[in-house]
Amino acid sequence: MSKQKPFPEYRRKLGPGWWLSNSHFTQYMIREWTSFFVAVFSLIYIYELSLFASGAKDSALALMRNPGIIAFNIVALLFTVYHALTWFYLIGKVIPIKMGKTTSKPWQALLVNIVLLLIISYAVIQILVLR
Amino acid sequence: MGTGGSGLLMSQDIATIRVTRYRPEKDGKPYFQDYKVPYRKDMVVLDALNYIKANLDGTLTYRWSCRMGVCGSCGANVDGVPKLTCASFLHEFKGRTIKVEPLTHFPVIKDLVVNMDDFMHKLVEIKPWILREKESPPEEGEYRQSAEELERYDQFSSCINCMLCYSACPVYGLNEKFLGPAATALAYRYIEDSRDQGKAVRFPIVHELEGVWECTLVGECSVVCPKGVDPMLAIQKTKILGATNALKSLVMPRGGK
Ligand code: SF4
Ligand code: FES
Repeated sequence: MSKQKPFPEYRRKLGPGWWLSNSHFTQYMIREWTSFFVAVFSLIYIYELSLFASGAKDSALALMRNPGIIAFNIVALLFTVYHALTWFYLIGKVIPIKMGKTTSKPWQALLVNIVLLLIISYAVIQILVLR
Repeated sequence: MGTGGSGLLMSQDIATIRVTRYRPEKDGKPYFQDYKVPYRKDMVVLDALNYIKANLDGTLTYRWSCRMGVCGSCGANVDGVPKLTCASFLHEFKGRTIKVEPLTHFPVIKDLVVNMDDFMHKLVEIKPWILREKESPPEEGEYRQSAEELERYDQFSSCINCMLCYSACPVYGLNEKFLGPAATALAYRYIEDSRDQGKAVRFPIVHELEGVWECTLVGECSVVCPKGVDPMLAIQKTKILGATNALKSLVMPRGGK
């Protein structure tokens, strides 16, 4: 077999909008973006904490009450919930658990993880915040 | 042209097949060409292509062989989704105009025919056969396996190498070096096979830089697979195996192998 290719092959490249071509890709991309919001939220949060720690309590509180920050937090919360729920669902796809003859479904993993999240959050709030 | 009786067809009995044409000897770029074919309930996209080739345009080029979802050679992007054209009925698609394009991410040789060398090399690379440290002589009989052991890899052995999963994978689209869904699924099929002893050989291949860790869990490979293989699961399981192995050799450097 000769190695030579008589005619050029046509090569295609993924354009920047590839993730809009299919709703699964779009959902995936939103999931990837959530990490941006989580990162920015963490930075703001760390900054607020550092203000508290250095004794600048008033400016920390002012920052927390800033409508822009509150609006951002709401958006970030929505993205975080999306992130958490989609990953909970994926856990079920990646680690299906065999129960006798049947295998667990992704939505079951989603449910179990939501319940666990609620229980752990409740426990943390009880122990650390309301003790 | 002898389309026999086509004059009697009502407009609702007609489908338009919009096919990518690429003639490397003439055109620098692919373009779409529309063909009118009969729209029948029992007609699959491959039938439509065959109809075009037989009655309308003998120069249309595409691959097929078994026309029953077994050989894996008839894959194309139909209305943007990778499908076996022999297993996709015209009525499964929304409109009466159906777009048929070559599988994405692969270089196009002509019309719907893509170059699959890259995938073929990857298949060979993962050594898709049973590796033994020492072959036992035939007189000793076969390597026995229980039903449970078979079940661990069974679904991953149904792959027909149709490459739909590669066409669906944006990670492969962005980085051609990525080992990709089907090759990893097949590697995992042997890694999980109780008769196989080639883990030490295959692990470096699936875990190297462009191996499973390149996967970002888009999951579309498993959605488009026509044979019920779940390459996404195989890739994640391979990641888990690799991670536990690395952990083991950290905790017990000598015994962890
Ligand atoms: S894993 Fe499925 S989609 Fe991928 S090549 Fe094999 S049969 Fe085709
Ligand atoms: S022609 Fe063989 S799988 Fe479609």
